[in-house]
Amino acid sequence: MSVFTDYKKEIMEAAHNERIRLALSRAIASYRANTNSALKKFPHTVKMAEEVRGIKADAIGRMEELAGQAAEAIESNKGKAYIARTAGEALEIIDKLVGTDKLIVKGKSMTGEEIGLREHLEEEGNEVYETDLGEFIIQKLDSRPMHILSPAIHVPKEDVAQLFSRITGEELPADDIEKLVATARKLLREKYFQADIGLSGANVVAADTGTLFLIENEGNIRLATGAPPVHIALIGMEKLVPTLGDANKVAEVTWRYANYVVPSYVSLVSGPSKTGDIEKVTTYGAHGPREFHVIFMDDGRTELARHPVLQQALYCLRCGGCLYECPVYAVTAGHFGDKYFAGVGAVWAAMINHNVEKAASIAYTCLTCGRCKVRCPMAIDVPQMMVELRRLIAEGDSSV
Amino acid sequence: MDNKELIPPGLVYLADNITSKGNLLGAARGAGARWAKDLKLPQQAETILFAGCGYQFSSELESLMSLIRRIDKSAVSTEMAMSLAGFQKRLGIDAAGMYRRLMARDKDDGAQPLRDAVKVLANMGIEVGYMADEEPCCGGLLHYIGLHNDFNRHARETHDRLVAAGVKRIISLVPSCTYTLRNLIPASTGAQGIEIRHFCEIVAENVSSVELKWRGEVKVAYHDPCQLVRYLGLVEEPRSILRAIKGMELVENELTSGWWATCCGGGGGFEAVFPELSQILAVNRARELLDTGAEIIVTHCPGCIMQLETGLKEIKASGVKVFDLAQVVAMAMEE
Repeated sequence: MSVFTDYKKEIMEAAHNERIRLALSRAIASYRANTNSALKKFPHTVKMAEEVRGIKADAIGRMEELAGQAAEAIESNKGKAYIARTAGEALEIIDKLVGTDKLIVKGKSMTGEEIGLREHLEEEGNEVYETDLGEFIIQKLDSRPMHILSPAIHVPKEDVAQLFSRITGEELPADDIEKLVATARKLLREKYFQADIGLSGANVVAADTGTLFLIENEGNIRLATGAPPVHIALIGMEKLVPTLGDANKVAEVTWRYANYVVPSYVSLVSGPSKTGDIEKVTTYGAHGPREFHVIFMDDGRTELARHPVLQQALYCLRCGGCLYECPVYAVTAGHFGDKYFAGVGAVWAAMINHNVEKAASIAYTCLTCGRCKVRCPMAIDVPQMMVELRRLIAEGDSSV
Repeated sequence: MDNKELIPPGLVYLADNITSKGNLLGAARGAGARWAKDLKLPQQAETILFAGCGYQFSSELESLMSLIRRIDKSAVSTEMAMSLAGFQKRLGIDAAGMYRRLMARDKDDGAQPLRDAVKVLANMGIEVGYMADEEPCCGGLLHYIGLHNDFNRHARETHDRLVAAGVKRIISLVPSCTYTLRNLIPASTGAQGIEIRHFCEIVAENVSSVELKWRGEVKVAYHDPCQLVRYLGLVEEPRSILRAIKGMELVENELTSGWWATCCGGGGGFEAVFPELSQILAVNRARELLDTGAEIIVTHCPGCIMQLETGLKEIKASGVKVFDLAQVVAMAMEE
């Protein structure tokens, strides 16, 4: 069976799954209502998105330079910074820092998903807990994320209740979502304080100060990056922007198009925890992590940046808005995708993960209807990228 | 990368029809022009109506799609690497026989929007020619499939053929053809000089010169074809035309109309790759449109018409009729 046959079977099964369709139709309705009211409350966001497009256009052209600058800033903040050329290099760096037999608490990271970080660390003999509720559900179901922000978007509450009942040995009712959330809280609570290492990604990074922006609502990232003695962050180079001011704008546009007026938490992390409260002697590891390690990963991004059409994929803020507007995604969820979903997912599969067959399958599933572009704060022209990707697949190109 | 075998066979088949037969459906020469046989349109004119494969061959399109759907649901794998002849045979298409039967039919309802478009333009004092058998396929699908070398060759031929026929101005009806003629072909050939207008632009400009009245009162949902709205930016024109028709009330859901219109599921050859999924999307879109309380649906693309009719049939709402904008304007002129 070819990749396309398997893929087509997978998406058709999804398309006939009433539960996926029901879960998504609710999610789409609430996304549109929330986003429209958030944009109405803060109409400056639309203009700001345009400004962010300019910031990204500049930053994507010089990711390596910005990574160097950010690394320097982090080092001067007494953190450690690394540049990984490839996914393999990134895993090697992390392996050296982590070792084996460690307890790790992890925040949700699509970049981690991209290189199979959790599975890798588990294979190396570590115990890894996903702490984002959706990601925790996915991990326990042995499934994969179906949306970049709401990974368990396709799992109805009944399935969550069944799963948590199995884990706790206690009968949990499906209609009591509060109880389900409390159960996850209880299951994970002690892990944060027992963990040797906290892992995260970042939504955007300011190169001038070396500051990571971590946007969230649950509070799991604050705990996972605050409680353990070591914090390791894996970040794709496309997340870098020149200044703290730029990063602020990127963050605001990201969460607004991710349907939030404002998220509950935005953590800004620039270095390890420190104090000078005893005789002004700077001492590291006060209440937060003593060690702060940041890995900036290229893995095909600088090469992608040189492609005149496909480089648009690097503008993606991962707000997930496009997915709610895609008619195919509405019935198939993340099955229409690979590590990332829909159009950007096809480019990522081709250019970053070099899975041409998967990329072709996704590219030829795009309707080229263009509604995603209307939603996208970066105005990423997905139909144009899909046609270009199809051209590369059909006719070849020496640069790919 | 150079992986031609990764192009889904349904698309390879359609592409081959364009390059070898000069139309999307692989129909015989002359099959497309029969809608105009009584209209006596001049074959050579400075302003021509560009009919497009979708309308000219709409009956064939439906037959082809129902076959593709049947095959897709059966055990035969459409992605198997197969020769084009083999593919056609596997689909069970007797192309020659199919077209003979269709040619023998008196009426060709699918092409009604074309006859209506000619009538509407004439009532507005605009005379058009029609190239009939000589009308080239725009070749747009070659571009969307990714076969840009083929598209570039085809674009040059198309341009040359139009210039040789003395065409100065084209009024085009199919959204996708219009975008190809207006944007893709000039971008490919670098040649300008032929003015491309969409039918609804012309009608919107002249709508005040005619009296338009619907028989009775009716609630209308307008379905924006993707290419008309998001590629050509024609949001207001169709609406201003519908609003000019007395007795018509436009009902819309702002979250799924205009720039935000949901695709009917027939975009860019999708129905030839995922016929079953395409049908599911058609049903979803038909439901959205019915939820507005509409009594009729108006759209402006042969692909959308086919998809929406399929969707309505699936949810047993065939009582709600789907019309092309050209049809409703022509009907509103009769009242």
